[in-house]
Amino acid sequence: MQQTLPVSPPSNKVVQLGRWLRGERLTTLNLFVTFVIICIIFASQAQYFLTLENFVNIGRTLGVVGIVSIGMTLVLITGGVDISVGSVAALSGVITSILWLQSGVPLGFATLIGLAACTLVGFINGYLIAFVRINPLITTLASFSIVRGLAFVLSNGQTNQLNDDTFKLLGRGEIVGIPISLLLMIALYVAFFALMHFTQFGRNLYAIGGSPDASRLAGIPVRRHLLIVYTLSGFLAGLAGIIIASQLASSAPRAATGLEFTVIAAVVLGGTSLSGGKGSLIGTLVGVFILRVLDNGLVQTRVSSFYQDVISGAVLLLAVGFDQIRLKLTSSLGGKP
Amino acid sequence: MNTMRVSGISEIMSLVIMLVIIIVFMGQASPVFMTTRNLENMLLDISTVGILAVFTTLLMIGGGLDLSIGATLALCGVVIGALQTTLGILPAAGLALVVGALVGLLNGFLVTYVGINPLITTLGMLSIARGLAFVFSDGLTIPVFDNDGTQQAAYDVFTQFGEGQVLGIATPVFVMLLLFGIGLLILQFTAYGRAMYAMGGNAQASHLAGLAVRRYRMIAYTLSGLSAGLTAVMLTSRLYAADPRAAMGIELTVITSVVLGGISLAGGKGTLIGTALGVLVLSTLLNGMKLLSTSTDAQNIAQGIVLLLAVGLDQLRTRNINWSKWLRGSRLLPGAATPSKASASSGSD
Amino acid sequence: MNTPLLEMQHIQKSFYGVKVLDDVSIDLAAGETLALLGENGAGKSTLIKILNGDYLRDDGEVLIDGKPVHFSEPRDAEAHGIRMIYQELHYAPELSVAENLLLGRLPRRPGALGWIVDWNLTRKQAQDALALLNVQIDPMTKMRDLSVVEREIIEIVKALSRHARIIVMDEPTAALTPPEVQQLFQIIRNLRERGVGIIYISHRLDEVFQIAQRVTVLRDGKHVGTRAIADVTHKALVHMMVGREIEERTQVRQELAAVQTGAPVLEVRNLSKRGAFEDISLKVAAGEIVGLFGLLGAGHNNLTQAIFGIERAERGTIYINGNAVEVRSPRDGKRAGIGFVPLDRKINGLVLGMSVRKNITLSNWRVLAPMGVFWHGQEMQHTRHWVDQLGIRMAGGIETHTRYLSGGNQQKVVLSRWLEANVRVLLLNEPTWGVDVGARSDIYDQLEALAAQGLAILMVSSDIDEVLTVSHRILTIYKGRLTGEFMQAQATQEKLLQAAAGGGA
Repeated sequence: MQQTLPVSPPSNKVVQLGRWLRGERLTTLNLFVTFVIICIIFASQAQYFLTLENFVNIGRTLGVVGIVSIGMTLVLITGGVDISVGSVAALSGVITSILWLQSGVPLGFATLIGLAACTLVGFINGYLIAFVRINPLITTLASFSIVRGLAFVLSNGQTNQLNDDTFKLLGRGEIVGIPISLLLMIALYVAFFALMHFTQFGRNLYAIGGSPDASRLAGIPVRRHLLIVYTLSGFLAGLAGIIIASQLASSAPRAATGLEFTVIAAVVLGGTSLSGGKGSLIGTLVGVFILRVLDNGLVQTRVSSFYQDVISGAVLLLAVGFDQIRLKLTSSLGGKP
Repeated sequence: MNTMRVSGISEIMSLVIMLVIIIVFMGQASPVFMTTRNLENMLLDISTVGILAVFTTLLMIGGGLDLSIGATLALCGVVIGALQTTLGILPAAGLALVVGALVGLLNGFLVTYVGINPLITTLGMLSIARGLAFVFSDGLTIPVFDNDGTQQAAYDVFTQFGEGQVLGIATPVFVMLLLFGIGLLILQFTAYGRAMYAMGGNAQASHLAGLAVRRYRMIAYTLSGLSAGLTAVMLTSRLYAADPRAAMGIELTVITSVVLGGISLAGGKGTLIGTALGVLVLSTLLNGMKLLSTSTDAQNIAQGIVLLLAVGLDQLRTRNINWSKWLRGSRLLPGAATPSKASASSGSD
Repeated sequence: MNTPLLEMQHIQKSFYGVKVLDDVSIDLAAGETLALLGENGAGKSTLIKILNGDYLRDDGEVLIDGKPVHFSEPRDAEAHGIRMIYQELHYAPELSVAENLLLGRLPRRPGALGWIVDWNLTRKQAQDALALLNVQIDPMTKMRDLSVVEREIIEIVKALSRHARIIVMDEPTAALTPPEVQQLFQIIRNLRERGVGIIYISHRLDEVFQIAQRVTVLRDGKHVGTRAIADVTHKALVHMMVGREIEERTQVRQELAAVQTGAPVLEVRNLSKRGAFEDISLKVAAGEIVGLFGLLGAGHNNLTQAIFGIERAERGTIYINGNAVEVRSPRDGKRAGIGFVPLDRKINGLVLGMSVRKNITLSNWRVLAPMGVFWHGQEMQHTRHWVDQLGIRMAGGIETHTRYLSGGNQQKVVLSRWLEANVRVLLLNEPTWGVDVGARSDIYDQLEALAAQGLAILMVSSDIDEVLTVSHRILTIYKGRLTGEFMQAQATQEKLLQAAAGGGA
């Protein structure tokens, strides 16, 4: 005679409350509230903050961080990390300018080769992580160093001008007043969101991060997925690098220094967990938004640029800290291991 | 089980061999390499990394990670520079130590009690500390010397930290050797040392065995911060200047040296002898490259490659590191750990 | 004569020159449940890993339906319908039940949109799979919001839903309550009717007698014998597994009933924690072994954890030797003289990468390292004392890393640790979970010896035989409340089960 098994935790108020408090909805709500508060503070301190022109400015700077954050989100969801993105971004600009200025390669091709090189770096990262099984932090720490060094060596430490009008369009151009880079970013977000939520591949990434063992046992080709994810990260970083070069109309080996920190901060802020298996692109987008607005606001209120790093760091720690405390305090409310 | 021991020894052996090869090669490649002057300089250069490596080793064996040491170093240096006149140079140096320890304490608190992943915590702190270094120095290098001539005696003492000698060895080098020695003793014979191995090996089980895991973790991070303060004092003393840009990227050098020496990112493994050799190998390599006029960038490339080789070879040899394990935050909440995150094989045979 | 569903013939396997399987052969018919028995280290896991493609055999043949097959990776085995259910659960906590069930094979939209996941169909397929077992869990619930029991059940549903022909179950009932075990057995019988062959690995011999048709015993990598279940007794099986006689404990039970005990060492009054246990009062005297028996979720684990300091009770007091103590962390528990042997020793009990010596001395640094420095000689002496007393077997002496010890010996190390820390009260959570028959008896003997020396022991167990065999007194717990107290002489299986399931005491 079959008995029915106990129903999943009874739907009483406490348990539901506990679940809600631990859930992502609250994180996003938190973020939204933080965002609003920050905007209010800045609006009160700087008169130009709430202007359309300023928003367009913000929109222009969103592109770079936003695009790299896509790759970083995916990487983090699989339980890894990629701290080489800044160096890779610089590399694409450097390679593009060298090929164009010194070897006479048409700018279009040069850009593509630069992108390809960055994708290759991502591929190598992915290979070392997935197949040689080197810890992602160490692998990308090493490539962070190597790629940055390469950027300097290849460019001889020089900043090169990239004064081509078509090229500058990518970073500076607008369509109906919206920066092209922003449009590109949005398009990519939509595409990747679909990937993560509607395709097997995307769900597999969550599975891999949640339990590499379960994924392996279920027959998911884990290593292949990881390889692809890091390659994507490299590609997106390279793309961002091209945009940077386009915006500055120059390539510098020093470009995008510190980008990895900003990106990781944005992604973690957005609710993606460093241990993997959890995270959303929407959250990342919000995180990117918040950090960019923060940056912009600090400039608008004429805070010394030195304080910007301090405040970014503090915001990251506070946000993640509060989230952790929330999780701890609510972990005992219903439906627990 | 004695295979563990055997592989430990062979790791050391391969490092020694590497060191010998590098020394021989560099000796051939550059006439300057084997001169006393160069060796002395090299040891001095090593001292900063070396001292940081001792504390980093202890921290990492315990399963921790501190990426903020470079930034903290810069901050402490700036503290000295900014307050040398108002407080006096020696009190300022003392304060620098305190500041370093406080940063470490804060890191420890965030990791242990709030439960933020050490990578994020120290990355955030890195940003804050570096930013503050720039804020307090207005972005400029601060010369450290006796401005108004009233503190002659104090400054004489201060310069001893970086330029003086103890028993015929340069002070920073002496301090480094001393710390290595003390560190070795601590790891081998003391409760603190064993606590690091236990925590790094299995923090949960250690906690359930009644070990004061939180306390030890706080101490480890505080000491890491303190080491940044200590090296800041010596560096500032040696260079007569406090630079907010100091020690950028030193984390990479320290971590590469330490990992080269056999420390695992997950914790619970490694020795100071390995670290010492790792520091020697890497620094000799970099020093040699500097002599051969390779650019700093090429040196960075070399560092990255060394790191990959070190870990890669280790992987090929042992093939059993659970690479995603270390990224988990330092949760001390006991009770059923999520079962799927238990280590690999099922069954007990 | 039908071709067997599965045959493994003359399997040989060595690791680093050590022979782990030596000419082992088993066969399984369609619709049969074959129990695979053996002590830890006998080779069961290795054999299974060869079957499911994790390991490559050195020699021998594997045949399915009479045809030789070769698996170079788990996927090959899966393709042939072989499914594993492990002791440790593997699942993605942040994904829903449905996604975990259909991991890697989510249904797609038909036609041109074939790369998009069809979430409605996903939900339906998950529902269907759950219905196979009459499981009432909402498939959209996240795995992390389920209880431990429910997660295990999903694991089983997962394996079942993938059209398995051969299912290997490795200690599937370790975390299940008696009613749930029966439910599992019902499923197994259903599976048999569909022609699925089951290899059932368990240390619980009583279950084997209920569910298996035949039993194969391995010992030290060799095949000892295969018998029909009707042709063999409990004692005979144990003999085959261990190679020697293990005495029945009926004699011991009588002795236990006659033991007199002293004053209460541990006393708990009105201990309560919302959602876990309510108004618990109990005493354990020096020299007494009290068994705490209950179904999963009854709160007994929480109770012992609260006494030791892992969790905190909200109301009530704990007394040690008559003095009220406040226990807010395992350190407090240790200081109060309480020791805690956790359920999952590999995760919660031992530092696997550290030696036996260091694990044993882990809780007594106050004595062994005064002023923070270890006295080597003293530490060695203390360690050897416990190794001798408890009979811990290690391949390389006390410096062996505990990772390399068998389950029973690992458990002894954890026990030794608390003895070294000189505790007066010992709390045990499923003391012989995952420990084989030979070592089990050993551990029971140890516990009795310790009680005789004056230790107060409170033992949580879901193994009714164990509880009956070892305890002087048994308490039953149901939904966080104590429902019964039985002296050894009066306790029977029926009474205990009834009380633990909520029937009146």
